[in-house]
Amino acid sequence: MEIVTKSSPHLRRPQARVTRMMRDVSIALLPLVIFAIVQHGLTALWILLAAVFSMTATEYIFYQVMDLLERMREAKSETEESIRDLRAEKKELRAEARKKKTEETKEAYESFLSTYKEKLAPLKEKRKEENKTAPTEENKSFRLWNSGFTLTNFSVVTSGVIYGLTLPDAIPLAVVMIGGAVGLLLAKLIFGGMGQNIFNPAAFARVFVVLSFGTLLSYEAFVADGAAGATPMTFLNEYIFDSSVTDHYGIWTLFSGIGLPGSLGETSALLILVGGLYLALRRSFDPVVPLTYIGTVFLLSLTVMFSQGLDFWFPLVHLFGGGLLFGAVFMATDPITSPVTRPGRVYFAFGLGVVTFLIRIFGNLPEGVVFAILIMNMFVPALDYPRWAKNRFSARAAVIFAMVVVAAVIITNVGVHYVG
Amino acid sequence: MITGSRRVSDYKQLMKELPTLRHVDPERVYINLPGERCPKYTVHVEKGAKVKLGEILGERDGGFFKQPIYSTVSGTVEGTTEKTDASGEKIECLVIKNDYQDTYHESITDRPDSVIADFKKKDFVEILKDKGLVGLGGAAFPSYIKLDTDKDIHTVVINAVECEPYLSSDYRLIKDQPEDIFKGLSYVMQAIEADRGVIAVKKTKRELIEVLEREQGRFADKDIRIAKLDDYYPQGWENATFEKAIGIKVDVGTLPMEKGILGFNVSTCAAIYEAVKHNLPVIKRHLTVNGDAVKFPQNIRARVGTSVKELIELCDGYRADAKAVEVILGGPMMGKSIPDDDAIVTQTTTSVLVFESTDHIEEPCVRCASCVYSCPVDIQPVSIMNAVKRNDEKAAQELRADRCIECGLCAYVCTSKIHVTDYVRKGKALTETK
Repeated sequence: MEIVTKSSPHLRRPQARVTRMMRDVSIALLPLVIFAIVQHGLTALWILLAAVFSMTATEYIFYQVMDLLERMREAKSETEESIRDLRAEKKELRAEARKKKTEETKEAYESFLSTYKEKLAPLKEKRKEENKTAPTEENKSFRLWNSGFTLTNFSVVTSGVIYGLTLPDAIPLAVVMIGGAVGLLLAKLIFGGMGQNIFNPAAFARVFVVLSFGTLLSYEAFVADGAAGATPMTFLNEYIFDSSVTDHYGIWTLFSGIGLPGSLGETSALLILVGGLYLALRRSFDPVVPLTYIGTVFLLSLTVMFSQGLDFWFPLVHLFGGGLLFGAVFMATDPITSPVTRPGRVYFAFGLGVVTFLIRIFGNLPEGVVFAILIMNMFVPALDYPRWAKNRFSARAAVIFAMVVVAAVIITNVGVHYVG
Repeated sequence: MITGSRRVSDYKQLMKELPTLRHVDPERVYINLPGERCPKYTVHVEKGAKVKLGEILGERDGGFFKQPIYSTVSGTVEGTTEKTDASGEKIECLVIKNDYQDTYHESITDRPDSVIADFKKKDFVEILKDKGLVGLGGAAFPSYIKLDTDKDIHTVVINAVECEPYLSSDYRLIKDQPEDIFKGLSYVMQAIEADRGVIAVKKTKRELIEVLEREQGRFADKDIRIAKLDDYYPQGWENATFEKAIGIKVDVGTLPMEKGILGFNVSTCAAIYEAVKHNLPVIKRHLTVNGDAVKFPQNIRARVGTSVKELIELCDGYRADAKAVEVILGGPMMGKSIPDDDAIVTQTTTSVLVFESTDHIEEPCVRCASCVYSCPVDIQPVSIMNAVKRNDEKAAQELRADRCIECGLCAYVCTSKIHVTDYVRKGKALTETK
């Protein structure tokens, strides 16, 4: 038995684990996956599998390649280093000799030069030899596992399922795969993998798919005859204040998602809320973010309702008709792409709400959730900036924030007045 | 767990019920010569000299104060040796062989209550100075300097929160000697003419509250209250205790005296009683020997200067199947893990903990912000960590890394099992170099 020393604290909370958090998100998504398969049949299953597979495979291949490169670098690094050192010494002595121009430095440089080639030659020979054999037998052997692969902690699987659930039901599987691979590579891996990414990989993949293959995707299941758009959101995009949207989609349909056209996972408000409740009870996400996000959209739609003399259907459709709940519960809460302070998270979620609503009302696109998430992701470093990031609301910050909220409400309503 | 959680499981259920073991006196005691705040010292006794219990052996010099060193047994001085102390360093110790007679030094006599009743502040200060009393909770700050404040103190707070998990020494102390604590508190109140005294305990320790409330009835002439605090970590941090017990917020960096509060740890309070009434220095103290790698955890009342090894042996030693253990002096959250068990109990040692060493697998930070939500001083450990990683002095300063009290909560709650506290310590050092 030996006595080891460590620095305090010597205790850790047993329940605090990344794996537990990510697994919880996967569990919360499970009802939605089942619902999607029940609603859309095998199509949904294939899309989800393609999404998860493409993301997982991309990460696996990426880290295999990284590992291989690392191993190759390690194998010859020793010789490489000595060569580098030798060259650096030569350079230094030469610089010295040129700068000072004394006999002493010149002599030192020349004496070094006389032995330089003799020293360098065997090293180069050795490197040549190593290059021939490298990767060595041990290094060349295929390893199934690699160091950076984070499959075990559910983070890729979660991203994949979330991405799959944001997709519409009519989409070629190849597009799903390309989107997943590109999304994970560009939004996560090149930033340095888990914990380093600034963009939500699922949101990025979804946006990539919409922008690159927009014409290849469509909503097919349950699209009501005679409705101008496929989903409640596309309908509202066309006729912004037309209450006939509720004729096609009743309130219960909107809430339960049964028979509601839309992306695979975003239709059932009920199941999303159940998942959110589970996550909140397990404390695997921060409820401040979804509550503020949904609250902001609700507040803005409520004020628009009053200023335009609409009925209560308007905020309800905005709440339940699109991807808001799904985005708020499963995408905006991704801790990696959120600010770290509580006020920061409130501002972040408020920004999400405003951007989402503005895109829905004024934008060309029917839905703004994923765009809002990507846009607000860019604000995260600014919200975390040491000079103003505070753990608690100060009175001044609360006043300024209240003013910003009022300004957002006024701007939205003035805009609506001119557009509507 | 993404949550602002200051709850820490306390693992005390068993230990609270264990009686306090009166430690069989050790064969030799090792009195530390340099103290925590006193690097210099002088020794007055020669090798081979006979000393009595409570006799002055020498003097520590802490710069702005001097502190006598007392013998905690009667016996023969055997010279000096080196032992580990709570800082993890080897320090010079005076070895005294116990003659098991416990002959008290002539100066150790009780003071009659009638004499104490007439004491003024300067008398109390004199006694505490003579007896070399320091904060026994771990801070080791001389108590007489605290008492000798010229500020107007309205409240004396006795900190009996003991928020560190695994520790039960204060708990046992209160259960064993509640009267001493009340008397110690009333002496302090008498000395500084404070209006009220508050004893802060955790709400969850019902037995203690019962004991204290019973005792409270006997001191009805004084305004002594019992504040029941929530079960949070670090509730025992002085500033948190003051805020929750009497509702006065003391900022980090200002002295509580400036707000009219004087705080003492509960064991210091009991020691004040001993010093004033019996004229005794700190001879014995309550200790917890606990942890998952010690066979039979115990509450022990041990002499100052006892070897830690002996105490662990008293608890039947290390668990046989533990491969690597950490030996910690102090609590598991803030205590120091020492390089070997050849250590000694000093005045400020609250516990000896032995844990089986586990290597936590660190994962990348997922910015879950548990550390930010939990931090008792409202700094952002995760941002400080990132600043430290890029060696960014300015950011560390702006993030107020200097406010950190090193309570260890950020590492405790971390979902990725990153040693965040270590990074914040480095950040603190970064701000200090400037």
